[in-house]
Amino acid sequence: MAATATTEVLPDIEQEKQTDSSTDLEPGYLVVCWNDPVNLMQYVTHVFQTVFGWERRKAEQHMLEVHEKGKSVLKRESLEKAEFYVHQLQKYTLHATLERDAK
Amino acid sequence: MNLIHAAADAFQFEISEGEKGLLFHLLQLYPLVPATHYRLSKDRQIPNREENQHLLDEALSAQRLENRKQVEAMLNEPKRFAACAAGYQVSFSRGELEWLLQVFNDVRLGSWIALGSPDQQQEIRQRQTKQTARHVLTMDLAAFFEMALLGAIRGELPPGHE
Repeated sequence: MAATATTEVLPDIEQEKQTDSSTDLEPGYLVVCWNDPVNLMQYVTHVFQTVFGWERRKAEQHMLEVHEKGKSVLKRESLEKAEFYVHQLQKYTLHATLERDAK
Repeated sequence: MNLIHAAADAFQFEISEGEKGLLFHLLQLYPLVPATHYRLSKDRQIPNREENQHLLDEALSAQRLENRKQVEAMLNEPKRFAACAAGYQVSFSRGELEWLLQVFNDVRLGSWIALGSPDQQQEIRQRQTKQTARHVLTMDLAAFFEMALLGAIRGELPPGHE
């Protein structure tokens, strides 16, 4: 097939220049808790309440999401704060990580 | 192990002789989870990933060391357990309940890892052999004490103590 010369019109959007530091400071990291079949449901609820100061109902909703769907996104934070929460959750031996928000 | 009285920052339990022995056994096992178990992220593109992982490892090691010190202090404080008709009475502050929960769950998780991290509860029983029975038993014991502490935090007094 012969190549045809076409004019490609690109959308008039200038990409936002981001520095590493601004990326790290803006909320954009997800604190994720993953399912471990070993952790007691009541324990996980308690840890969520303690670490995030949530009411029991909200903590239970996230606990059930972990249990039924395999993971739950608990917070969207800056890198620094996300690291802090991951540390707090891991202190209680929960399987928690931080992940970049793809949105 | 029953909660018999709860005040603002003092939770008093009654514990039998047998339960005390099991409690001390669990405390002596801590920590069981390998230090390399914790990962900061599954994403390899996280900024300063290795450095931040190192900082997390250090923070968790310090936490485990602190918990271990508190465990040692409790094991070497016999007066803390006052003899009574049912066995012993012992009081914990809210902060102590929190680190005890961390300790018990570490022991429970560490035993589960020692079993090969089975995916399902029923698989845990299936994997039980003469060699691994102690891990299953340890998991159950840790869960027993965790539930007692969580019940206390929720203010669940047993019948007759309301």
